[in-house]
Amino acid sequence: MGSSMHLALAVFWLIAGGVSFYFSIGNARVWTSIAVGFFLILVGEILPTALPFLPGLNDGYVLAMGHIIGTISILVMSHGFQEYYVFTRTLDFEGSKLFVYLSVIGVICASMVFLLINPEPTPEVRRVIRIVGNTNWVFLSLINIDLIRKIYINIQDTPISKGFIAFMVVFACIFLWKGSELYLDVYNLEAIKGSFPIRYQISTICSLAGNLLASISVGATFLYLAKLLR
Amino acid sequence: MILLPRGNPVKENVNPGKVNLPDALDKLRQGQFTGYLRFEFTDGTGIFIFQSGRLISALYETPRDNLIAYDAIARTFQEAIRGDGRLDIYRLSPALAFSIHALLHGEVLHRGQDLQLIDIRSLLTRMRDEQRSGCLRIYSHEHIALIFYRDGKPLGFFHDGSTDIETTADTSMSVARQPGAKVDVLVTRGDTEKLLADLMETANIAGLWGKAVSERQRQREEQENAVSRTLEIREGERRQKTLAFFQKAAQQYLGKIGASLVEKEFDRLKLNGASLSDAQLAGFYDNLARAAKMVAGPSKIEQMLDEMKNGARALLKGP
Repeated sequence: MGSSMHLALAVFWLIAGGVSFYFSIGNARVWTSIAVGFFLILVGEILPTALPFLPGLNDGYVLAMGHIIGTISILVMSHGFQEYYVFTRTLDFEGSKLFVYLSVIGVICASMVFLLINPEPTPEVRRVIRIVGNTNWVFLSLINIDLIRKIYINIQDTPISKGFIAFMVVFACIFLWKGSELYLDVYNLEAIKGSFPIRYQISTICSLAGNLLASISVGATFLYLAKLLR
Repeated sequence: MILLPRGNPVKENVNPGKVNLPDALDKLRQGQFTGYLRFEFTDGTGIFIFQSGRLISALYETPRDNLIAYDAIARTFQEAIRGDGRLDIYRLSPALAFSIHALLHGEVLHRGQDLQLIDIRSLLTRMRDEQRSGCLRIYSHEHIALIFYRDGKPLGFFHDGSTDIETTADTSMSVARQPGAKVDVLVTRGDTEKLLADLMETANIAGLWGKAVSERQRQREEQENAVSRTLEIREGERRQKTLAFFQKAAQQYLGKIGASLVEKEFDRLKLNGASLSDAQLAGFYDNLARAAKMVAGPSKIEQMLDEMKNGARALLKGP
């Protein structure tokens, strides 16, 4: 059941990641940041955990890198939404897609170098990295929901406006997913699940449900956006 | 309209706007010219009379007022510089030149009397009895003849093509016989020949000309400024119409943010009163399309731009 669920998640995130990456190519530069951010969820988090047969799954560096890429992911997409909000207020936008791609690759490479010059991350270190990443996800999800609400108000009579309502749904799902994971990590419920089975069960189910809904909503949102931007 | 017979033509139908009049007057002076210059303008007629190289008389007549001497010269210069006048120069004998001066500055006793209605015999008798000096100006649509009197005695006749007073009355009488011929009776007071000054000596001809040139320059600049302002206003209205049309189209396809994007891209053109060129509009469409990609897809943007281009063509094609 668990592995089937992870496989389903992997499929949904593959679809969502593919759609979002494809979307990043053919649209305005600001969409590149947002779409690349969602694509990084696939790269950084889902692939290492969802596909047990991937090489290096038990490698501490690979797992730590996955968490770091997850953190980069929410930062990049939040930056994209901030830029979009600034655009709706000032009508100014700048930068190039290539710069976005290169910047993201640069940050990932720098993170890899950081990991490699330090001792191999232990499970405890990885837990701390995960907590940092999930904290970013939780609070930036809430901030993004508010930011997207403001964007929607500014552009509500444009062809694309309803796509931003879909993004609010996406971040609500992500909040559920990452909030549950943060809760599990902060209290280390995995280690003490015997003492708190219900909390652990609810948190795990919320995490999986949020993850599944997020993957479906991300893919659907980008498909919907592609339809709106035809 | 100053009615004078044409003397012996020296130059006819010259555009005075293309002549440096102070130089021309100086040449006439040095050549001891005797005769008169007739300037015809839409506003009035100017007459400069030379006697043996001396500018003895200047008159400028309009339907509203008559100017003489320096004022007449200044006004003639002003009108000449406009470039839409006509200058004729006729040679006369010195005596006739003076007579014409006396005639122009004399008093009009009767004007425009129809020769078929007037008792010409009693008029001549009256001239003799009252010992008048002056002339009878007989004119039809095409010709003019003058009969000069001094102290009630006829001196002679002057008509088109004459350079001096003639003693035969044939031509003058033939004018009087033409249909619609009229007569003016003009009288002069005394013999003022000795008192006439040379206006070219007493007047600052170059100064008057310079002033006229400056005045014309100022008027031209004013006209150009007025034309420029009119064009600017028209371009401004055209820009506003184009902007309003673009904003309406953008709002239709992109919503309120579309209208704002149009305004912003329009500002970026930095027209500063200049007219909208095709190159500027092409740049505007490109920039707008790039910004519009943030909120709409290519098909909607394409439709919007097509509508804008069609509208702009119609708006910018007008006068």
